[in-house]
Amino acid sequence: MANNQVSPMILVSNAVEPMQVDAPPEDNDNTEEDPYLVENPTLDLEVYANSYTGLARLNRLTYIADHCPTLRIEALKMAISYVMNTYNVNLYQQLHKKLQQAVGNVSVPDVAGSCPQDIPVFDPLWVENKSKKAALKLEKLDSDLKNYKSNSIKESIRRGNDDLGDHHLDCGDLSNALRCYSRARDYCTSGKHVVNMCLNVIKVSVYIQNWSHVLSFVNKAESTPDFSDSQGKESSQLILGKLKCAAGLAELATKKYKQAAKQFLQANIDHCDFPDLLSPNNIAVYGGLCALATFDRADLQKHVIFSSSFKLFLELEPQLRDIIFKFYESKYATCLKLLDDIKDNLYLDMYIAPHVNTLYTQIRNRALIQYFSPYQSADMGKMALALNTSVSALEDELMQLILDGQIQARIDSHNKILYAKDMDQRSSTFEKALNMGKDYQRRTRMLILRAALLKAHISVKSPQRDVGQGAGEMSVAPASSRP
Amino acid sequence: MASPLEQFVHSVRTLSSQGNFRDLCELLCKSTDILIKNGQHLDAVLECLQQHSLGMLSVLIIKLSLPPPSPASNTNQTQPADYQEIRFTQVQEFISSCVAEQIRYAPDVFAELCHMVTQQLVEAKSPMRGIELISIAIKKLQTSDSHLTLVHADLCQLCLLAKCFKPALKFLDIDITSISIQEGVQFDAKYFLLYYYYGGMIYAAVKNYERALYMFEVVISTPAMAVSHIMLEAYKKYILISLILHGKVLPIPKYVSQVVGRFIKPLSQAYHELANVYATNSTEELRQIVTKYAETFTRDDNMGLTKQVVASLYKKNIQRLTKTFLTLSLSDVASRVQLNGPAEAEKYVLHMIEDGEIFAAINQKDGMVIFHDDPEKYNSPAMLCRLEDEMTLCTELDRRIQKMEEEILVNPQYVKKSCGATEEDITSGQATKISYLM
Repeated sequence: MANNQVSPMILVSNAVEPMQVDAPPEDNDNTEEDPYLVENPTLDLEVYANSYTGLARLNRLTYIADHCPTLRIEALKMAISYVMNTYNVNLYQQLHKKLQQAVGNVSVPDVAGSCPQDIPVFDPLWVENKSKKAALKLEKLDSDLKNYKSNSIKESIRRGNDDLGDHHLDCGDLSNALRCYSRARDYCTSGKHVVNMCLNVIKVSVYIQNWSHVLSFVNKAESTPDFSDSQGKESSQLILGKLKCAAGLAELATKKYKQAAKQFLQANIDHCDFPDLLSPNNIAVYGGLCALATFDRADLQKHVIFSSSFKLFLELEPQLRDIIFKFYESKYATCLKLLDDIKDNLYLDMYIAPHVNTLYTQIRNRALIQYFSPYQSADMGKMALALNTSVSALEDELMQLILDGQIQARIDSHNKILYAKDMDQRSSTFEKALNMGKDYQRRTRMLILRAALLKAHISVKSPQRDVGQGAGEMSVAPASSRP
Repeated sequence: MASPLEQFVHSVRTLSSQGNFRDLCELLCKSTDILIKNGQHLDAVLECLQQHSLGMLSVLIIKLSLPPPSPASNTNQTQPADYQEIRFTQVQEFISSCVAEQIRYAPDVFAELCHMVTQQLVEAKSPMRGIELISIAIKKLQTSDSHLTLVHADLCQLCLLAKCFKPALKFLDIDITSISIQEGVQFDAKYFLLYYYYGGMIYAAVKNYERALYMFEVVISTPAMAVSHIMLEAYKKYILISLILHGKVLPIPKYVSQVVGRFIKPLSQAYHELANVYATNSTEELRQIVTKYAETFTRDDNMGLTKQVVASLYKKNIQRLTKTFLTLSLSDVASRVQLNGPAEAEKYVLHMIEDGEIFAAINQKDGMVIFHDDPEKYNSPAMLCRLEDEMTLCTELDRRIQKMEEEILVNPQYVKKSCGATEEDITSGQATKISYLM
């Protein structure tokens, strides 16, 4: 009976690709994004996958399989072998379907070589066994929970709910997991429990990409009164790091890059072991890129380059470290080239991929602004060379920046020179004052008229009086004015 | 002459010479029946009532509302056109000679007369003839220059139809500060809306877009419980003028009544789309939208304005170039603004330089445009004079507002209300003040 109850729910919630399940409306970019394919990643899949556990690993592997044909089969194989350890039957079936498609696609062009023979076969028996086991476990946990409830022991009820949540998560039923975890909230008796509950909810919310939920629970956990002293120093550091990273991820997903950078920069490498959320490499990349795109030079130096804790993160991603250092040294051409090199790998990261283009544009613009900032006039030919682009493309970019007010300059298109524009404060103040005066006059006139209008009690009232009064040229559509 | 009519003439003369105009108005209201019955004798009555403007007014109204007498029954007039002509002369004489103090006792009746005359002139397609007449009529009704009467709308309509704007501008240029109110007579919102709507159109016609926008804003922000077609049309024109003037649709004021958001906006879909495309700065797409909705724009009689919107986008794009470039070749201008070639670009740039919209010079030898900064340095005596003028205007307005506030502060009704609220707190006192204003 329990089986009948559960499996349809799993079906519903996992009908789409897991990472798109329940994508909240605020986070449209994932669904709107054009499907793109990455051809030449330089990614060690094995290492990459091993830095995650649980659904995080599965989601990331599926994402790679969807976007990279060269790694598709390998990724799917890894995902399948990993999913066998869980109760996530539904995902297992989906992965097999995808694998079959992938194999079908690949084996036609090159039968001879690369396609390995050890493709796992679909195992209906396993599916059946696992479903049964899952159902049994669910039934047991359910009845346990009922027991606890009838005895009304708060602590046991909380644990029961948590266990049930764990099980749902294991089965891939995210919405039920979230429900169970949240239910535990009413039975928390200490700060430790509250924090624990928050962490659980955050974990699931990240999987279903409900970012506002993530942020609110991060806040809740951080504001729990005895948060720091209730736990051991070590574990509280770990939790703090995890909260920061979850918050950073949520800020990143909602395009608040500066906030995201600040959150990630607060992470500490010694206490950052949460493979169900992010790997330290991720933190380095997300934090580094966001900081590069949004921080000014001084902030970049102070908070990124000279930050003793974040330095260690950057050591994990030497390429990114080089990029940041080159940027700081104003070697923009190398910096931009290196950025292009790691672009493919970034496209395979499910969280940052939708933001890569925006971040890159911002970094580019920042480079342009920084390049020009010390000059009174600059040769656009040299500038284009330094920024790895053509003069006409540079001209367009500059034009946009000038119009946005990010660079105070004018282009001499004839001689291809960019001149800094000296703002005449006096003139602009006069201009502003005159405009302000005009605006004031207009508004005040309107006010006086309106006072007269209201004094005379003029208002458009019944539609009968107005419809069809059109003196001559008011021949508009019939009285469709009222719905 | 029939005896009731004789009696009527007699009583009008007595009351009028006694200066008892209030009673006279009442009498006139009651005696319309007698006048209608004696339609053929009205000319004679008019003769007897010289100097008694109120009496003449009501007689004329009746006379105008009567159908032209059939040829059999009258002896003097044979042609209906002549009859019209004679009636018009009568009205003209009356309006120019009537006593202002008297007719102000019945402004609604007088306005009615003007509406009728205007209507007839519009039908006769000779709006020009009425302009002078109606101007006099407004002057007679007004107690001050900034006083709005029901007749203002007629003048604007006549001027628009005659394509002769100067007489109307004389009135439009003065800001209205009071509206004629009379006990028991409601100022019809229709004429208020029409005045500002026509006014907006007149200003748009003389390319004073700033004033036009102001006028249309007044129309759309008039309190409304129902949708008025005048407001709908004004809203459409508001969008277009706003695009021409500012390159974007200015947000409408917060106090605009809800009907605008709920019913008028959805009814002007084409215009909203136009505004959206305009925001992308792409002239090509803008042209497409204009072609797509050409029928709607033509039906609304807004095609001319729409074409100006398109032209304004070219200008706006060129102005954007001046912000970013010091020099630019004409062919680059053409390609960046999506014009057909250097020649057209040169034409646009030249016109804009002439109109003072950009500051630039064209070097025909190299085919380059050199953009300059605004040469105004704000240090000339003329500019100082202008500044002072503007400041005087502002302080004057400020003084007027203060006077209005003082008036409210000593208003017994307001004092009563605000005293009642003192126990609560200061904010509620302010609230009452606002609600009184509303």
